[in-house]
Amino acid sequence: MSYAKFLVKRILQGVFVVWGVVTVTFALRAAAPGDPVNLIVDPGASPELREQIRREVGLDQPLYVQYLEYLQGLVVGDLGFSYQSRRDVSIMIAERLPATLELAIAATIVAVVIAIPLGVVSATRRHEPADYGATLFSLVGISTPNFWLGIMLILVLSVQIGLFPVSGRPVSFTDAVVSLVTTGYAHDLVTWLRHIALPAITLGTYFTALITRLTRSGMLDELGKPYVTATEAKGLPGVLIRYKHVLRNTMIPIVTVLGLQLGTLIGGAVITEAVFNWPGLGSRLISAIYAVDWPLIQGIIIVIGVGFVCINILVDSIYAYLNPRVTDE
Amino acid sequence: MSESTEALLRVEGLSTRFFTEQGQVNAVSDLDLRIDRGDVYGIVGESGSGKSVTARSIMDLIESPGEITSGEIWYRNGELAAAVEDDHGHAVDGSFVDLLEIPERVRRSLRGTSFSMIFQDPESSFNPSLTVGEQLAEAVEVQRRASANPRSTRARTRSEEYSLGSFVLSTMLPSKRYVSEESRERAISLLELVGIPDPVERADEYPHEYSGGMLQRAMIAQALAGEPDLLIADEPTTALDVTIQAQILDLLDELKRETGMTILLITHNLGVIARMCDRVGVMYAGEIVERGTLADVFDDHVHPYTHGLLGSIPDVERAGGRLEPIPGNVPSLLDREMGDRCRFADRCPKAMEDCLSHPPEVDAEGSDHHAVRCVLAERSYDESRALPDDYFGEPDRPAEAVDEPQSDDEPLPAERTQPTLEDAGGDGS
Amino acid sequence: MISDRLKANLKREFDRSLMAKLGLAIAIVILLLATFAPILATHNPTTTGQFDEHGNSYPPWGVTHETHTWEDGDDGRERISYTAEPSPDHYLGTNNIGQDVFSRLLYGARTSLLVGLIGTGLAAAVGVPFGLISGYYGGRIDDSMMRIADVMLAFPSLVLAIALIGVFGRSEQFIPDPIVMAGFADGMPEYAVLPGTVTLVVALVNWVWFARVARGEAMSVRSEEYVKAARSLGANNRTILVKHVLPNSLTPIIVLATIQVAAIILLESALSYLGFSGTTLSWGYEIQQGQDYLATAWWIATVPGIGIVLAVISINLLGDWLRDSLDPNIGGEGGV
Repeated sequence: MSYAKFLVKRILQGVFVVWGVVTVTFALRAAAPGDPVNLIVDPGASPELREQIRREVGLDQPLYVQYLEYLQGLVVGDLGFSYQSRRDVSIMIAERLPATLELAIAATIVAVVIAIPLGVVSATRRHEPADYGATLFSLVGISTPNFWLGIMLILVLSVQIGLFPVSGRPVSFTDAVVSLVTTGYAHDLVTWLRHIALPAITLGTYFTALITRLTRSGMLDELGKPYVTATEAKGLPGVLIRYKHVLRNTMIPIVTVLGLQLGTLIGGAVITEAVFNWPGLGSRLISAIYAVDWPLIQGIIIVIGVGFVCINILVDSIYAYLNPRVTDE
Repeated sequence: MSESTEALLRVEGLSTRFFTEQGQVNAVSDLDLRIDRGDVYGIVGESGSGKSVTARSIMDLIESPGEITSGEIWYRNGELAAAVEDDHGHAVDGSFVDLLEIPERVRRSLRGTSFSMIFQDPESSFNPSLTVGEQLAEAVEVQRRASANPRSTRARTRSEEYSLGSFVLSTMLPSKRYVSEESRERAISLLELVGIPDPVERADEYPHEYSGGMLQRAMIAQALAGEPDLLIADEPTTALDVTIQAQILDLLDELKRETGMTILLITHNLGVIARMCDRVGVMYAGEIVERGTLADVFDDHVHPYTHGLLGSIPDVERAGGRLEPIPGNVPSLLDREMGDRCRFADRCPKAMEDCLSHPPEVDAEGSDHHAVRCVLAERSYDESRALPDDYFGEPDRPAEAVDEPQSDDEPLPAERTQPTLEDAGGDGS
Repeated sequence: MISDRLKANLKREFDRSLMAKLGLAIAIVILLLATFAPILATHNPTTTGQFDEHGNSYPPWGVTHETHTWEDGDDGRERISYTAEPSPDHYLGTNNIGQDVFSRLLYGARTSLLVGLIGTGLAAAVGVPFGLISGYYGGRIDDSMMRIADVMLAFPSLVLAIALIGVFGRSEQFIPDPIVMAGFADGMPEYAVLPGTVTLVVALVNWVWFARVARGEAMSVRSEEYVKAARSLGANNRTILVKHVLPNSLTPIIVLATIQVAAIILLESALSYLGFSGTTLSWGYEIQQGQDYLATAWWIATVPGIGIVLAVISINLLGDWLRDSLDPNIGGEGGV
């Protein structure tokens, strides 16, 4: 199978999954108890007003019509209107998306930059203090709920020492960069860094621990293989053996597991945002749930599902790149 | 047969042990070996006799829990001797250098450029996710970098290792890649040298796209990349089909004649030995029990083990020629289970009371190089002093004592666990 | 099902792994603490208002800290600094509304373990048959079932759980506490509270992992000789599934179940932290309460978090032990 064909197949599967997500969320919304009109207007409003609203929102239509209309809107990016704020759901999502992406990317960078060298050191210096330290760290890391970790970081680094702010995101990354470029002062960027530091560590710790663990055990498996001895025998420098050969092959299973764990990253972002009042999609989702604002809930979940599918396709392409045998099957 | 008598490598008293959970395993004990420049030296023995461990000890590929516990490996290399003389005078004797007395880093720098190795199973000895060409080019690059500096040997003994920083840089800047373009081209010409058709296309293919025989050719090409002084071939044909085996041996033969390189050939196959080698060492239970020229070992052998091994080659001329395996099993190499007797005594048809003490290596008749570790070299078999048949208990007792290593990370020589005599001979000739 | 070789492996791994011993020890302690919470608790965990004479929370034993209070003085309200002293009665102090932190820690363990164990059981009960059928029959049944699983996996478990709770609403089930009923612990709550929706939802979110593992096992067992033999002898598919395929798939399912208990405990704590649980006797809820008092009463949020970490670590250690002994291939690990 060629690479292009492989990719097309994955994309078609992805489209199917997105359709499934849309359908499930639609079903959840339909199954939710209570009359949605009560969520839009005061329950005591006149029957005429209620009927009018019902018609305007399209709730008077049969369910399948509502479903088809929703799908139709989705194709052009129309996710309907929020019950609570009457605003366009796609806009409400778009304005919160950058904050969540900043957080997720920062956490991933933290995780990858720390975890991979840590895992390599741990595997190559087995049974030395560095290995025990890394193993203990990864055990505690995967066992600690991230919201509690965040609170402990706030307790120690913000409340006690005052090193980092407790919460919030006063400036976005793009604004901070623009300000750096136009004024030449890094002040905004430093503010951004100070605010994202704790949330990124909070969200990234589980992944740092997980990747360290996977890297260590994967490296140990891989280091026992005959090709490693053969590579040593040809005199290749140790760094190249460890990173170019062994780590590369270790990355193949790691990438797969990370693809599966993507949901954990997104779920973790939701709760991290709640801890740090980070104005992203996650905190918007939670307030939407409290307000039973179904169009908004539905929209956010669909966007998350699309993101999940896209990243998984990306992961699969990386996988195919790393492992030349995949596309040959 | 080569007329040269200049030694390239002298191994003296080499012992390599593995410290496992079950106890100390004496994989190689007190081993002497001399390989002359331009020769093909064969080491033959059953599985678990310590052949591969010997090769790996020379290559410095013994990993924890294994360790070279004593011995000297003298390697003739005038340039290296001059380079390390100042700092490690005790490791230098004329143009010989004792590899066990020089720093690890220097020793590693000899891999690929002084010694290289062909492994048994080509399919698992290549990294599955890099192209064959890339892997060959790496081996070329090691050599290219080593010789790029005019004061290379001296520089290598001091220089910094390739650092993590350089690697990270190389992933971002193509110009900083470890493997240079000229190494890639040289890799392609090496593929051509070993008879791989369409080398330009094949260089871009991955190991799984090669057949076993082709891959073994590629491995030979890789081993030649550094123009090594000594090529170690560890069971180079065992994993291959019979017809392919012959082709690979032809290739090795041809390359040897063209380049005059020295080869240490490790095999359990006496046919291969007879065909390729100038000198032979017969290994049993971690020791060389008999060594000498091909004629010494094949025609004038003294040790009953050598005799048994040769007897187990099917005789094609005798009708219905049958394999005659040596009764009994490879003995345990666990230190605590090894007595002080001759290690072959329990299987030896000519075991005598003298065999209850460990025999030293003595010269035997034949060429100057013929040496044997057996009392029969100095006295003839005396039936009156023979040990009773049941002296060592039931001879066919399975070798339970040496179980498979329990821990997941101990690269114990797996062959050690195999209790039976392999099919010795049968092909290749 | 559990062969002698397997038992020997378990024992050998246990003997040589300090971590396995530690994990088992912590897990047993937590299990005992949770089971006998009504007896071991020093106070009714719901009793409020246990403050010091200045109306502030007691700190844990060994902790004193500088705090202040307002009192009516000669010229109006006056700020008085004083040192808050721990009470001999409250081992781990009291929380913001004056409840005993130690007693709530024990009762919180009950909630976590109940949800973890029942949730895992439910998830396995749904996922294992689904996966076995999918893997055993293969073909179109397998394809469609796996597409469903793909869709499920596209929902982050926390997000799906929140959405499902949005649909079902919060709920709590009251289970009579046998220890209190038998009269061993007077003054303790008569009912144990199980957050029903949360339990159901964590199972609905996590069954896919069981389905994946069971499917993989069924697929590999399907082609084994003895299954083919049983089929040729005329055994029907249901019998083969229950008698042959299931027992042989059990090992990896047990390992997965262990990991899932940890994952579900983490998920439950996250849900109750966000306020979606049905009970307040939960570690996550307690942490959320304590977050506002970090500057004045740090122990409220700290103590239950340590409880979660210890519980999850011990289960993960047990999982590692099982995995090292049984060595099945399990791809995914659930998490928050």
